Amino acid sequence: MLTRVVAVASLVALVTATGGVSAQNYSRPTAAPRTTDASALAAQARERLVHERFMRGVAAEERGDWSAAEAEFRSVVSLDPPEPKGSSARYDLALAESHLGRDDAAVALLQDALHRDPRFAAAAANLVVIELRRGNLSAARAAADRYLAFAPDAVLARYARGLAALKAGDLATARDDFRALIGADPSYAAAHYDLALVELRAGRDDAARAELERALELLPSYARARFALGTVLMRDGRKADARLAFDRCAHDAADPALRALAIDLRDRL
Amino acid sequence: MRGIVRLAMAGALALGACAGAAVGAELLLNDPASLVTSSPPALLGPITETGRTGWNCAPERAATAKTAAAAGLPHD
Repeated sequence: MLTRVVAVASLVALVTATGGVSAQNYSRPTAAPRTTDASALAAQARERLVHERFMRGVAAEERGDWSAAEAEFRSVVSLDPPEPKGSSARYDLALAESHLGRDDAAVALLQDALHRDPRFAAAAANLVVIELRRGNLSAARAAADRYLAFAPDAVLARYARGLAALKAGDLATARDDFRALIGADPSYAAAHYDLALVELRAGRDDAARAELERALELLPSYARARFALGTVLMRDGRKADARLAFDRCAHDAADPALRALAIDLRDRL
Repeated sequence: MRGIVRLAMAGALALGACAGAAVGAELLLNDPASLVTSSPPALLGPITETGRTGWNCAPERAATAKTAAAAGLPHD
């Protein structure tokens, strides 16, 4: 009798213990609808569809299947979910469009996302990147100005506007932006390189050389900076130093065009 | 015959590339504006359905980061 009682108690204890473990391993079931109202049920179905399409779209983007992602996010956008999902869907669709080579569509979607959420920093960043990449400098500058206005401490905003300003010849703005970037992150070599380009275009070779030397202290294999330093040294008449710079550039450059230029200049000295 | 033509074409292309490099080198020495800037930033990645609810959103964090590494800025 006692043996039976012990066996039953052990069985109950085992079931309780395994039941607890199971509860931790399985997700909760979806809550049953608590309404029979047709419009509420339709809204729930739409929400579920948005959820599924989002998951499949992000998974497609993560594996680089941009066509599949484009179809999923276009579907989400057509369902017009509330914020922040509406602007996020437009951002993701823009990402797919850009990778499919349709930058005009991507720009329109990012502008729409920013219209819905004016402080959507990732959308502002990607808008500047696309405009920079396709060489639309006035649009890149306008987008970067708007980005910086609500994210003044963002180094990505500062870097992007500095590049747009430098490429467009606005040396004063570019200088301010790259100096601010260096102030925020003094160890970022590319900011010193870009500031050197600003100074070179302003005819201030000494200031440019100091920035290039700083960039190379931070990143000795920085081939573009080494090449630019070589040109400054050559103009300054320091041919032996320039030759060493071009030689090191030819060694470090991953870009074959830069390597060819460095070899050509080295061999002339 | 085809081999000779191919060889001649390869030679012409090589000469063209050398001439291009020489012209480019002159330009770079005399005109600092021809030096290219550092690379543009890369596009930030996808955002999930709930990504922007709270702080666990990598693209938003990169877009507002205060250091080059956290923002994913290019190295060169």
